[in-house]
Amino acid sequence: MAGQPLKSLRSWGYKEVSHLKVKFFALLRDITRVKETVDFTGGTVLELLENLCSHYGKRLTEWIFAPPAVGKKRELSGNVIILVNGRAIEHLAGIETPLKQDDEVAIFPRMAGG
Amino acid sequence: MYGWVGQILRINLTNGTIKKEALDQAEARKYLGARGLGTRLWIKEVDPKVEPLSAENNLIFMTGPLTGTLATNGGRYNVVCKAPLTGAMAASNSGGYWGPELKYAGYDGIIFEGKAEKPVYVWINDDQVEIRCAEHLWGKDVIETTDTLRAETDFDAKVACIGPAGENLVKFACIMNDYTRAAGRSGVGAVMGFKNLKAVVVKGSGAVRVADPDGFLEALTKARQMVRSHPVTGTGLGLYGTEILINILDQTGALPVNNFRDSGTFPNADATSGETLAKTYLVRNKGCMGCAIGCGRIVNVPDGPFKGFGEGPEYEAGWSYGADCGVDNLAAIIKANNYCNELGLDPITMGSTIACAMELFEIGAITEKETGRALRFGDAEAIVELTRQTAYREGFGDELAEGSYRLATKYGHPELSMSVKKQELPAYDPRGVQGIGLNYATSNRGGCHVRGYMTSPEVLGIPEKLDNLATEGKAGWTKIFQDLTAAVDSSGICLFLTFAIGAPEVAAQLSTATGVEYTVDDVLKIGERIWNMERLFNLANGFTKDDDTLPPRLLKEPIKVGPLKGAVNKLSEMLPEYYKVRGWDEDGRPTPEKLEELGL
Repeated sequence: MAGQPLKSLRSWGYKEVSHLKVKFFALLRDITRVKETVDFTGGTVLELLENLCSHYGKRLTEWIFAPPAVGKKRELSGNVIILVNGRAIEHLAGIETPLKQDDEVAIFPRMAGG
Repeated sequence: MYGWVGQILRINLTNGTIKKEALDQAEARKYLGARGLGTRLWIKEVDPKVEPLSAENNLIFMTGPLTGTLATNGGRYNVVCKAPLTGAMAASNSGGYWGPELKYAGYDGIIFEGKAEKPVYVWINDDQVEIRCAEHLWGKDVIETTDTLRAETDFDAKVACIGPAGENLVKFACIMNDYTRAAGRSGVGAVMGFKNLKAVVVKGSGAVRVADPDGFLEALTKARQMVRSHPVTGTGLGLYGTEILINILDQTGALPVNNFRDSGTFPNADATSGETLAKTYLVRNKGCMGCAIGCGRIVNVPDGPFKGFGEGPEYEAGWSYGADCGVDNLAAIIKANNYCNELGLDPITMGSTIACAMELFEIGAITEKETGRALRFGDAEAIVELTRQTAYREGFGDELAEGSYRLATKYGHPELSMSVKKQELPAYDPRGVQGIGLNYATSNRGGCHVRGYMTSPEVLGIPEKLDNLATEGKAGWTKIFQDLTAAVDSSGICLFLTFAIGAPEVAAQLSTATGVEYTVDDVLKIGERIWNMERLFNLANGFTKDDDTLPPRLLKEPIKVGPLKGAVNKLSEMLPEYYKVRGWDEDGRPTPEKLEELGL
């Protein structure tokens, strides 16, 4: 269901559906305990990440964000790979990449293999 | 000498002579060891036009100067020969404990010449070297062979051997050491099988001396700390193994599916991922000698039709048997991979050749008359059974044993072999990862990801994120990756270290171990020299610039689904620039100036 639900429905426990799918991989799944969720919103990648971190707490925050520095914008830690619809955000607008309905955001810890 | 132990063993299997020769120090400094020095020694002595399966094709086992030292992940050695699969130079890299043990016995390498009349194995116990009868071992798999040889010689001995696949001259047979580590690609096991050499068993009681113990300790400690504190090498690879890559390639849209026909996302890819493996069949992780990573997987499928205990799969095998064959049954993938380990097969070429056969079957180019069974994408039972049949050349396995190129050509569709220089491509679709396509096309040993792992910057963002769809600048990056890899392969340490460390740390360890001052530039120059030496071999052997290409599907047929839908590889935009940055002419031949610069 898209759009703004009725206030009364919210008070009955109704959750807004953002149609924004977030997928977690590897170690991050151990933190979130789910492989994917549609329970979070955000107008940009940064807003989404902040929403996720405020819900899942310190462990996720430490994976995703660099330690906060006074007078500096929030920055990624460098330990995660973030794709929006399969495209790395480095090739979009970074953490300011705008998100729209039905976007898929995949979040991986930095990984390699071969 | 320091780093190197200074002695080569030369064993002629035709007449049974065993000689110990001093290592040529000048050559060792120039080519380091393992891949570089092994290739140099082969080229010096053998006609490049030699038949791969002939007594004249020397088979060289070679360690590097850091093999068997305390250097982080210093457990590697290479097997060098002319490859039966490709006709190019094979330098197949393996870990485990066998390479270090050879140095502890007092040898940097072994050159096998000729061909034994009957099956033999070689038992090296420090100074004592014997050629022994191996008729009782012929036909036995890798596990039984290794168990038997340890019982016959010394329980602490290390065994490198072939399985039935090598004996049966399967063109992509491996040499296995320490049960489950493989000199995997290009068919080095078939050359060993042709020579009637079943195994090389080594026990050493010596050590490797280093020139500057304090400096070496400082250099390796720094490298180890970098490796342990890096999120990839310190955490991810140990927890999930290389199979961790399944999901990111799938989400990126560059996962080859159904013989690259239906790339780039695979429904239910997660069922075959490192995450799923960790939660299902993983018993524990495992490392090679001196390993700070531990990417190996010990696995157990406790019951069902694919029940079994073994090691792996690595990402490449998980993909070749998985998405590339349309199979999402992880237990079946493990079983097929176990067969590869036990029977001595390269799982990349094996899985890809089965995938090729599945496509040939689906278009009607082959039928049940040839295959003996229906053979469609998604058939989990087929990947297991056909792997077993291939090792023994039973039924349709006899055709699969030739690899996908010869199979597809025989049935009129060479374009369905996803190979370069007749060697099957690994698990990254070059239509979605442009630079890895350039690396595949130019790799001296044919389709290979570990000659220049451009996936690292293009998908994984290491050391920095490059746009996977861009072609600009990829030539220069590919050259640097290829050159550094050649130097790392030749030094005796594990390539996975380079996710965390770079040329400065390699140079520091080499310098303090050997006493030869290597700068960062020296390391890259050695790598470039090795790359050009391999290229010269290929040119002398009849390869041309026309072989620097990709299967037509990857240049013409766009990816059908997923985020990279519509993409093709733009090799023609990268290849001329690549020749230029390599200092080669328009036909891909190293110029006289380049050869002089490299001392070739």
